[in-house]
Amino acid sequence: MSSDASHDLELLRAVAAGDEEALGRLYDRHAGWLTVRLSRRCSSPEVVDQAVQDTFLALWRGAETYRGGGDVGAFIWGIGIRRLIDALRREGPSMRWSWSTRRSKSSEVVVSAEDQVLVGVEHGRLAPALASLSPELRAALEATVLDGLTTAEAARLLGVAEGTVKSRCHRARQALRAALADAQGPTLPNEHTWGTT
Amino acid sequence: MTTPFPDQVASADGPGGHLGGEVLAAYATNRLDEVAAWSVEAHVTTCSACRVALRAFVDRDRLARNRSVLLAAAAVGEPGPARRLLSRVGVPEHLLGLLAATPSLRRSWLLSVLGVLAVVAGESVLANHLWNRGSGSTWGVLVPFLLVGPLLVLGGVALAFLPLFDPSHQLAAAAPFPGVNLLLARAVSALLAALLPVAVAAFFVPGPGWLPAAMLLPCLAVWCVALAAVTVVGATAAAVVSAATWVLPVIVVAASHPALAVVRWHAQVAWAALAAAAAVVAFVRRDRFEMGWTR
Amino acid sequence: MDEMTTDVDLAVRVEGLSRRYGPVRALDDVEMGMGRGITGLLGPNGAGKTTLLSILATINQPDAGRVSVFGLDPADTAQRVEIRRRLGFLPQELGFHRHFTVAGFLDYVAILKEIVDRRRRAEEVARVLAAVGLQGMAGRRIRALSGGMRQRLGIAQALLGDPDLLLLDEPTAGLDPEQQLRFRELLSNLPGDPTIVLSTHQVDDVSAICSHVVVLLAGKVRFTGTPAELADTAAGHVWTSHQRDPHALLSWRGGDNRWRHLGERPPAGVEVTAATVDEGYLLLSHTVDNPSTTRGWRRVGRRDR
Repeated sequence: MSSDASHDLELLRAVAAGDEEALGRLYDRHAGWLTVRLSRRCSSPEVVDQAVQDTFLALWRGAETYRGGGDVGAFIWGIGIRRLIDALRREGPSMRWSWSTRRSKSSEVVVSAEDQVLVGVEHGRLAPALASLSPELRAALEATVLDGLTTAEAARLLGVAEGTVKSRCHRARQALRAALADAQGPTLPNEHTWGTT
Repeated sequence: MTTPFPDQVASADGPGGHLGGEVLAAYATNRLDEVAAWSVEAHVTTCSACRVALRAFVDRDRLARNRSVLLAAAAVGEPGPARRLLSRVGVPEHLLGLLAATPSLRRSWLLSVLGVLAVVAGESVLANHLWNRGSGSTWGVLVPFLLVGPLLVLGGVALAFLPLFDPSHQLAAAAPFPGVNLLLARAVSALLAALLPVAVAAFFVPGPGWLPAAMLLPCLAVWCVALAAVTVVGATAAAVVSAATWVLPVIVVAASHPALAVVRWHAQVAWAALAAAAAVVAFVRRDRFEMGWTR
Repeated sequence: MDEMTTDVDLAVRVEGLSRRYGPVRALDDVEMGMGRGITGLLGPNGAGKTTLLSILATINQPDAGRVSVFGLDPADTAQRVEIRRRLGFLPQELGFHRHFTVAGFLDYVAILKEIVDRRRRAEEVARVLAAVGLQGMAGRRIRALSGGMRQRLGIAQALLGDPDLLLLDEPTAGLDPEQQLRFRELLSNLPGDPTIVLSTHQVDDVSAICSHVVVLLAGKVRFTGTPAELADTAAGHVWTSHQRDPHALLSWRGGDNRWRHLGERPPAGVEVTAATVDEGYLLLSHTVDNPSTTRGWRRVGRRDR
């Protein structure tokens, strides 16, 4: 794991220095998951491919430099999701997922008990609360919390106004707080960690 | 419904702490419920092994194709600062790409322009200095400088037009991109690239303060004449003709009048008229710019 | 006019084409049609192959005659541009700017081919690099490439924009035998199945990959047909024996120690054998060089009058 991480750092450095082979290797290590993850946010494979390429080109041009701290994966994701927003802006809004049809419940997979433990299902008090949110509210939380976007960026990704993102995040927090209060569980993370700035 | 929470990634990390293939597959094919997908994403953000494992769920050909496009785009090279600036002010990117295709050529040419101007300006300064010791000042020492400016513009245009300087000119000729656009783009860049050093050098030679501005119209006129002549005669003959439209007046005027009369205001009117007339000819006959079809 | 005018399947049609350079007749009243598949333009250096290809590539004007490419007339400005949009051209002397990288050069040509969007250009560059087996070379400087690689790069640039007609001027010149084989493999596996016209002075190329062959000698078309038909023109003119034969135009000893002869008239009683494409071409060239010896077996394709 740590050797992998240092390997990634070496690759990043070599790519920024203009080593084409390193660019190819970095792509081989990261393009796959980035493609999968971006595909969950955009229905058009072409736009996703563009965003993935733009991500690595940005690294190649040294337009984005890794300043240490945090995982390389998080760093690359931060570039990737913003490149996707740029690509969506070029292509128009029709390429976005409609949030209500993003997944079909019928095809949901049951996660094995072992995996449930792995991904932290013992803290599942929050999970039903999250699941109870409407798709729009969840999408707003996903963009601002999980994807780490600013309100403005989230608004562009979701194709709604900034004010809408703000109000949805606000409503989502309230709904979560209420749901957790009902469950009499411990406290929700502090409000500012939801990062709606 | 299984609803894991994204917060607890750290516990899933570590020895053996990786997501099962089934979960990854469900995530990659968008069959995981949304909250569970959040957990997966939070995990893969920091877990290198699971990231690599996700690669298996993307079409190999798609990844390979995008990889080669990426490497091609990377190898094309990055636009320099000048190109980015021009692109920002609205010059089409592909046009800049065409112009950038001859940078080494342009660099050596620009260097020679600067070299020639430096020598000529130096000579003028020196001659003026010696002259001043003797009698009163005369602008006759400026004749070499006057001669050289527009001729350098012409040299740049020749670079743009003569196939000799473009090793792949046959490709350009057989391509659908309009030959006239290519030639004009190159000629305009040659004009601008020559005007700048000529105007700067004019500040340093011992002429009057208005000399830099006075050089612009003759340069433009010679440039227009060259373009017009190329549509009528061959490139070499056109170069001779347009050079003569500048050299002859300079020499003739210098013989009978003060040398700078050739760029004073009444002469400027003549240069402007010549530039306009030549521009009209070049425009009317623009179809003739195309290589191989000038006969 | 003959039946060519009615043959709509032909990608390229040429009628009465002439081009002079001073006193030299580079092309003299050339007529031919080129259809699907690979057409080989066979002839010695200076036979007019390059002139003909440059006229088809719309960068040279004929003095007389008509050219039609996909039914379009290159003499008309608008139609000429249309032809160029469907054309891939490899000139005989393809020069490169020294500083170019492989991808940079292809990007430049792609702009010339009106691929304006930067991303589309990158995709197109990657596609043609893969087609000629130069993937992984995108970042190399052209001056660092071997001769065979440069030749492949030349073909790659011709493939940009997916042309319907490929004109390749001496694409195998300077290639070693292995590179020649690779080139043939490449041409046989081109995407999109374009009409290909290649000029060559090597009979090997023609017999190996061409479905049609046009023999051009001193500016005139002397033969059009299939490679097998070219070989047939020497049928009855090749014989073998155990010693040298003074009647033959050419005699050489094969590996089996038997002499093989090419000549106008085999002597009585010798063993006449099947002719090769080389021998058909040799006999044709000899006949044109020595018109006094010309006899009735002159097969001049469609130009026969």
